[in-house]
Amino acid sequence: MELQRIAHALDADFICGPDDWEKISIESVVASDLMSDVLMSDRDDLLLITSLSTEQSIRSAGIVGSEVVVIANNKTVTEGMVELAGDQGIALFCTRYPKYEACVRLGRIMEP
Amino acid sequence: MNKEHKQPLQSSLRVQELLYGLRIIEVMTKKVFAVTRNCNMRDVQAIMKNNSISGMPVVDNKRVVGIVTMNDLMNALEQGGMEDSVIKWMAGEVQTLAEDMPLSFAISAFGKFPFRQFPVVNKKNELTGILTFRNINHALIRELSRQLREMEQQSEQPVDRASLNFSKVYQLNRYDFENGGKASSRIKSFLKERGVPPKTVRRVAVASYELEINLVAHSIGGMLGFDINENRVKISSHDRGPGIGNVENAMTEGFSTANEWIRSQGFGAGMGLPNVKRVSDEFAIESAVGMGTMVQAIIYLKPEKQNESQ
Repeated sequence: MELQRIAHALDADFICGPDDWEKISIESVVASDLMSDVLMSDRDDLLLITSLSTEQSIRSAGIVGSEVVVIANNKTVTEGMVELAGDQGIALFCTRYPKYEACVRLGRIMEP
Repeated sequence: MNKEHKQPLQSSLRVQELLYGLRIIEVMTKKVFAVTRNCNMRDVQAIMKNNSISGMPVVDNKRVVGIVTMNDLMNALEQGGMEDSVIKWMAGEVQTLAEDMPLSFAISAFGKFPFRQFPVVNKKNELTGILTFRNINHALIRELSRQLREMEQQSEQPVDRASLNFSKVYQLNRYDFENGGKASSRIKSFLKERGVPPKTVRRVAVASYELEINLVAHSIGGMLGFDINENRVKISSHDRGPGIGNVENAMTEGFSTANEWIRSQGFGAGMGLPNVKRVSDEFAIESAVGMGTMVQAIIYLKPEKQNESQ
């Protein structure tokens, strides 16, 4: 599924990312505030939803090859996170929905 | 020690490898002078004087029960206790080192305890040697000279941008979450640029990142070393303490000693070390309380050798 649809479903604010972010393909979602759990994931075309608004969320996403991070609960995004996302070519979003609600919304549109 | 390749290593990595690679048994003095409980301080004085040594373990049936040093001897002399049994003057609480420990643990022990010598014991807890700073200095100088000679004999190789040969050591400080992960990101880009398959790059990155976070979250500081050639990536993590009391627990998924602050940073779920092992083709861990922990993770770059489950 294209990221554009997901961003729309989450009513997410685009913070930074590559020019053609709308076309990024997303096949699976990991929702966690525990980066150790994120690092256990071995899926491809991964999107990370987290309430952990720190640089480590961006790093962890980069490590497992995820190109998209969505910060839930409208948590404040730091400058360091934006810079790091830029370096790693990660598209960064912020949504007002809490993590659970964001997942429910994604589940509805991603269900086969 | 790494025998499979001869490329010059970055100097700090060489020292780190040395400290890992050398075992206490290879470095210690094996000819040990010791006294039994029956000896008196006069005997101690004679043995120390005749052999120019400054301390001796006190043993009972090969087990170390105490240590008597020049200091104890001076106290006994001053207070007229030279005819007393050694038991009266020795220090009864002795820190021993195991002979199969890496030298790096011994160096931590010298930093942590005030002793100038450590009795060394085997698996049966029997005295087999003694370790002083002098032993460590000699061993390091000997090994470093040998490696320097080796490097001098090697002709200089041109830098190859496509080459996978690479080695580097990164320093990590306690609770420095801001820098934890930088090394892993660099190694990830290095491998990616050289066309290593994404799944393999991810395994290296995960192992490296978990180890980096462990150093930052759980150790008082340490080093993360990378040694890469066309066959494999070797990641070595080495910290100065505090050491893991029960390695089996630490390898159990979900077991964690992390505090609230570490958890607030998104870590401490107890998945770190098991996750490193999961993504590695070879994995080894050694730890001793008060001395430190070292972990070595190897990931093969040649597909035919790779871990089947990945």
